[in-house]
Formats: sequence, C-alpha cells, structure tokens
Amino acid sequence: MRKWGSKPMENKTIHPSERMIGAIARLLKNGERVATGTLSPIPAAGCFLAKYTHAPELELLIYGDPENRLSEGFHELFGLAQQGKIDVFFLSGIQIDQRGSVNLSVLGDYRKPSLRLPGGAGSSMLYAMSGRTILFTNNHNRKLFVPKADFVNATGFDETGITPWRRGGLSHVVTPLCVMAFDFSRKQIILDYVFPGVTVDQVVENTGFDLAVEGRDIPTFDPLGETDLATLRGPVQAKMRQVYPLFARTIWGAETPSE
Amino acid sequence: MLLGLQAGVHNLPFIPVFGFLDSDYLRIRPDLKMLKDPYTGIEYVVVPAIMPDWAVIHATKGDRNGGITTLSARNDRLLAMASRKTIAVVEELVEPDQVLPGLHEVYCAPVHIDAVVVAPGGAHPTGCPGRYDIDAAHMAAYVTAAKDESSFQKYLETYILAPKDHTEYLAQVGFKTDGK
Repeated sequence: MRKWGSKPMENKTIHPSERMIGAIARLLKNGERVATGTLSPIPAAGCFLAKYTHAPELELLIYGDPENRLSEGFHELFGLAQQGKIDVFFLSGIQIDQRGSVNLSVLGDYRKPSLRLPGGAGSSMLYAMSGRTILFTNNHNRKLFVPKADFVNATGFDETGITPWRRGGLSHVVTPLCVMAFDFSRKQIILDYVFPGVTVDQVVENTGFDLAVEGRDIPTFDPLGETDLATLRGPVQAKMRQVYPLFARTIWGAETPSE
Repeated sequence: MLLGLQAGVHNLPFIPVFGFLDSDYLRIRPDLKMLKDPYTGIEYVVVPAIMPDWAVIHATKGDRNGGITTLSARNDRLLAMASRKTIAVVEELVEPDQVLPGLHEVYCAPVHIDAVVVAPGGAHPTGCPGRYDIDAAHMAAYVTAAKDESSFQKYLETYILAPKDHTEYLAQVGFKTDGK
C-alpha cells in the first residue's frame, strides 16, 4: 500500500486524503447503495463520512468491513452490479485519460511494459454496470492524467454505442488537488472545483490534457466543513482503524484520540 | 475470471460477459471471442470456462469427510466447485457436526473436496482473518530477498528447505499460535 507520509497530523492541518474523503462524501446521496473494492481506503472513509453526516440511509458494501456480511465472494458483488443494484462504485488507475478510460495493468507497451500490475479485469464490467463510478487517485500529475491511456482496462462511457447493455459510467474524479467531473456533451473530464490552497493553474499544469477551464469560472471549495472534520476524526476514524488500520495509522497516527 | 469459474461449475464451454468489448483486453487475449446473442442480436464477449485440474484452498475448519468452512469474502468455494480436484488446507480438524460457518464463512460440502490437510498457521505469511494477521515483516523480508538470486536462494534455504515439516517452518518464522 502507498504511504502518504508517516508524521501524525497536527490537529488543524488537513491531510490531502482527508479533503478527498470529504469530497467523496459529498458526492454520495442518501439512500444509494455504494460498494468499494479492495485497496480503497479513501472511498471507504468517504462512504462512512457520508453515512455519519448527510446520508444516514446510505447502504454500504465496504470490502473488508466486518459489519458488511456478504453471502459469498466477489462474484456476488459482480452479480449485483450486473443486475443494476449498485448505484456507486469506485475505481482508480495508474493512468486516467481525457475520456475517462482507466489503465490498471501496464505502463508502456503491453508485451514489454515498464510496470505491470495484477488484476483489473473486473473493472471493465463494474465501470459499465454500476450506476455511476467515482475515480480516485493519490497522485495528480501528468504521468497519471494522460491524453490517452497506454492500455484501456475499462471505459468511462460508451462512445460508439457498442455496449447497449451499459448502465452507467464516470461521474467524478477526486484527487489531492481538486474534483473533476465528466462532461457528457464534451465527452471528456473537466475541472469542477479546486481545494483551498490550490490554484486552477496548478491543476492545469499537472494534468496531461485540456480540462476545459477557459471561459469557465472554477470555484475554490472546501468539501470538509467543521462538522465533517469532527465526524471524520471521530467515528469515521474509529471505523477506519478497524477496516483499514494501516491507512488510519498513516493519516491519524498510532494513538486513538480520546473523544 | 469469476464467470469463467461459474461456467466451470456447470461444465459449460463458455459464458458471455458484460465488459471487455470496448477495452484493450480484446487486443491481448486471443481467448476472448465475440458472439451474437441469438435472442436479441446484441454482441457480447464470451470467455472460456475455467476448470482447474487442481485447486488448493485455505479453509478454517474441516472434518474427515471433507466438509469445510471457508472465508465468505473469498471465492474459494466457487473455485473448489469448478475444479476437478480440490485440496483444502484447514486450520482445525473438527467433528462433522462442528463444521459450522462463522459470521464471515461459508460451508462447502465434502463432495467438492478431495483431501483435507490439517495445518494450523497454514496461510502464513498471509493472514487468516479471525485467527491471525498477515505477517507484514515476513512479507517485506520475502520481497527484499526476492530481488536477486543469491538472497532468494538464502531465503529458500532458511525457510523452505531447512525446516523438515510445517511445525519447523512455523518455528523458523516465529509464528505464534495466538497469531500476533
């Protein structure tokens, strides 16, 4: 698992991951059924935060959460998604391109890759069959956000109409700098808002494709209000220590604060 | 892969899947083919069934007949049902009426299991949720050792070749029965 930094955070300093968690929470609506896959601590925390704040009726299928009892295995989740019973899913990637396609497999030529990762095949179906998908990434740079992915595991939308059974696709991309949205009329990812302390130029410079910022007013917005932060560092943190202990230690340190 | 196993469970030759149609998998996987749904005319990707000759799965409890309990978060029961032969490595041997799945477990019937191997700690250095955690330090040591031939050879000798059985292996890696 990636390390975000080992120093426990000062009380008032917001960790970039915390802001991402806040942004994800705000994208979830009360009553939705939301699932997360493996190695998805930020989406998991975003789901818990939403449930403990504005969306108490959120139905969570958090992989690794002991309170989430599935009958059996991943094929159960896949079946649910294929039946249209998953409203929101989360994916990440080693590359995300302008059209919202994700690469979870290789960098460079497929036969002679510079990096090769396992798995990723389920993403093709989940991206197509979940109601909508939120992409998340801990890196916002030009190596990750590329004009065209080296290898496409899964697409964000059906450009040519070859998948009439497709149910959904890309809605938003959450990064340590900003939230981006998928614009269906432009058929591309565009900048939605930037986090406090981040400039639009900074996002543009670190993104390998045009984000359609020209002529648009891009707001600065903090998705993590005071109440959100208290809930995040209180009950959400407690829950995360159980489900993603390594992530929780990295963000909030080893000690459980006395609340 | 899961649908391939699903097809394997029923001994079907292939199965249509959602996805892949608009991905680069079609470029690199010659076993993925296109097929028209005879009912609707819609094109799907089909994948061949997966029917492993052997599956080796880790289970929590098992009995002498081959009944086992295994973790529900995994797809081990599906794998056992799709495979021609399955070996279950179990943490604990119990009487048949005690092979009861816990909160996060499922039951798999003896008809799918061909051999039960009793090996407490058998998942090491990975974890067995509810019993013991992943041995992160050992995993890290393995990753470091695997970087070059001589250090890997040394790892093999220390942990795999030198211990004469599973008990000695567990002693060598410092595995504690309480799992911590």
